[in-house]
Amino acid sequence: MLIATLVVGAIGAVCALILGISLVTFAVKMDAREKEVVEMLPGANCGACGFAGCAALAHEITVNPEAPMACPAVKEDTIKAIAALLERDMGSLEPAVACVRCKGGPQEAPSRYEYVGPRDCRSAQLVAGGPKVCQYGCLGMGSCVTVCLFDAMAMGEDGLPHVNIDTCTGCGKCVEACPRGIIALVPKTGTYCVSCISEDAPKDMKKICSVGCIKCGICADVCPFEAITAEKGKAALIDQDRCRKCGLCTGVCPVSVITGRTVPEKARIIPGACIGCGICEQVCPTEAVSGRAKEPYSVDPGTCIGCGLCLAKCPADAIERYNA
Amino acid sequence: MSPFKGGVHPPEEKALVRDRAIEDFPLGARYSVPVQQHLGAPARAIVKAGDAVRKGQALSEPQGYVSVPVHAPTSGTVKGVAKVVHPVTGLLSPGVIIEADGKDEWAEGLPLRRDPFAMDKGELLEAIRGAGIVGMGGATFPTHVKLNPPEGKTIGTLIINGVECEPYLSSDHRLMVEEPERVLKGIQVAMRVLGLDRAVLAIEANKPDAIRVMREKAPGEITVSPLSVKYPQGSEKQLIKALTGREVPSGGLPMDVGTVVQNCGTCAAIWDACSAGVPLIERITSVTGRGVRNPKNIRVRVGTLLRDVIDFCGGLDGAAKIIFGGPMMGIAQFTQDIPVMKGTSGILVLTEKDADIGGYSPCISCGRCVEACPMGLIPSTLSRLGERDLWQAARKSGLTDCMECGCCTYVCPARRPIVHFIRHLKALSRSAGSKQAKGA
Repeated sequence: MLIATLVVGAIGAVCALILGISLVTFAVKMDAREKEVVEMLPGANCGACGFAGCAALAHEITVNPEAPMACPAVKEDTIKAIAALLERDMGSLEPAVACVRCKGGPQEAPSRYEYVGPRDCRSAQLVAGGPKVCQYGCLGMGSCVTVCLFDAMAMGEDGLPHVNIDTCTGCGKCVEACPRGIIALVPKTGTYCVSCISEDAPKDMKKICSVGCIKCGICADVCPFEAITAEKGKAALIDQDRCRKCGLCTGVCPVSVITGRTVPEKARIIPGACIGCGICEQVCPTEAVSGRAKEPYSVDPGTCIGCGLCLAKCPADAIERYNA
Repeated sequence: MSPFKGGVHPPEEKALVRDRAIEDFPLGARYSVPVQQHLGAPARAIVKAGDAVRKGQALSEPQGYVSVPVHAPTSGTVKGVAKVVHPVTGLLSPGVIIEADGKDEWAEGLPLRRDPFAMDKGELLEAIRGAGIVGMGGATFPTHVKLNPPEGKTIGTLIINGVECEPYLSSDHRLMVEEPERVLKGIQVAMRVLGLDRAVLAIEANKPDAIRVMREKAPGEITVSPLSVKYPQGSEKQLIKALTGREVPSGGLPMDVGTVVQNCGTCAAIWDACSAGVPLIERITSVTGRGVRNPKNIRVRVGTLLRDVIDFCGGLDGAAKIIFGGPMMGIAQFTQDIPVMKGTSGILVLTEKDADIGGYSPCISCGRCVEACPMGLIPSTLSRLGERDLWQAARKSGLTDCMECGCCTYVCPARRPIVHFIRHLKALSRSAGSKQAKGA
């Protein structure tokens, strides 16, 4: 008994010694900060940054002082924390979220045959181009929901996927998974998008879907920033770089196909700085500005849509935005 | 000895139409001719609404070498080039709508009278291409490309595929029994194009009358070779293995082992094109299955609507599924407003009992699909990879060698749609490939 204990103990001691030596000799030299960065990243290994996973991105941004913060899924304060840790400017990514550009569930846009195969949109797309009559519409089998690593998508009762804007990180996994290219990324600050990508002529589209874009072009006409293009034969498309989240388009769309969350921001005039030129009154698309020449103008918060046109045009920098 | 590995023996079901003589489908009032009826580069419609066309006139212009035109099936007026449902892709694609004038007048100069055996290789290939001939077994690959192997590839064997191993179908069978001369003359033209002095006509042993007729009529240089009955005996690679013992390498083509395979219906079309300049505007097809009242073999113009064909065959009776092609590899259709195409070897109407539509359950690893796979793959593994979108791993397991013959799905006791999973993986692999190409 005693001998056995000693023998096993001795073997253990030798092994421990070998392990101890190799731990020192073969240690992988790693920046201590790298580990901390890994812990701050989301840990979903979604690959949206272009690296193999969170650890690979952490390594890159730690060792390479030029590498930008490529993770779209981290929050603004996390980026700041990582920047503070690495003692350099990380830049910032405008947070994005997914937008499902189809409103035609089984009720609004019918199917042309019964699909009985695996419940996967990409699979269904292989059978005669998918069961839905509309060739552009959502197949409703939730491939986007399945691939979401952040539980930010769910199938609604209307048979369409819905995005939870608060948990969506804009990693773009769902965009890749959708065989019809229905999902797009939009800025989180104002999620305006035209919820239809049909290229069918309006009269053909109306036969197969009651909620699609009718390509009337009113939104493009009304947009003060020329952010909407309504090309012939295509659904209207919002240029997210130009969109100023005013929300005018959502109000005028006759089929309510434009969706978005308005940022509760308004403009107000700083009385002391206003020179009373009246330019703001002229440019305001909603006639929210009123006043008399050479006297300070005022903005009616009820009518102001926060588009910011007046800010851009004011020669005296006398207009500011505030959270209403 | 087994001619090739794996394979299955599904019920033949050929008795429904096997002994019915080919009937001519009467001239219809309206035709819808899809512009894309071949594999390869698209063709472009060259007619517009209001144009008068005559039978055999070209309606489209090929764009590129691997591309062929389509032709007017009868004389009449073009109503327009509309978006019509394509029976193969299921998507809307351009099709020429023709309203027949009932006169059925040939285009200027047709049919010609010429001797194909006095023409040289280039002239024959041009005639074949101009006639819009594609592989009529169903794959619709342009025939002139197959008959013109690139420099450096020596062709020693021409195999004519009269196997028709798909259950239910008998169109090639009837063609060989009723019109053996067209087939044999066409084979001789194909031999002339390839510069060969012999050919092998392969027929499955379940068509003894076709074998007898062909043996009686065939000239010495064409050997008629009966093959044992096993699906997929009519697949190119399996056919080559059974007849020559050679195996087409993975990712390779029949020409890599010195062979060219042509369907017997294609040969008949080659003869029409080369001897009379008649384009491919009609074909023989089996309308069969227990869901149609009077199963028939018909000679039908390309562009005839399925609805009219079904009416001609007595209408539907308890139909649950309509398939273009055979039950193993055919394509299910969701509407009757689709045209018969150059590659429509059969129109199969299954009843609910025969279609056996239902769900599937997890793989139990029984290995039956592995035994059945004629390509030596492991379909069970591929199907499980398909459920998880793991196309990279599937590529390492021979994904691209799968020809989607359906043997695995046929034998699966868990009723898993294995071929569908494989097609899903192939689609994922393709889209990843095209994304990479875009990025580079």
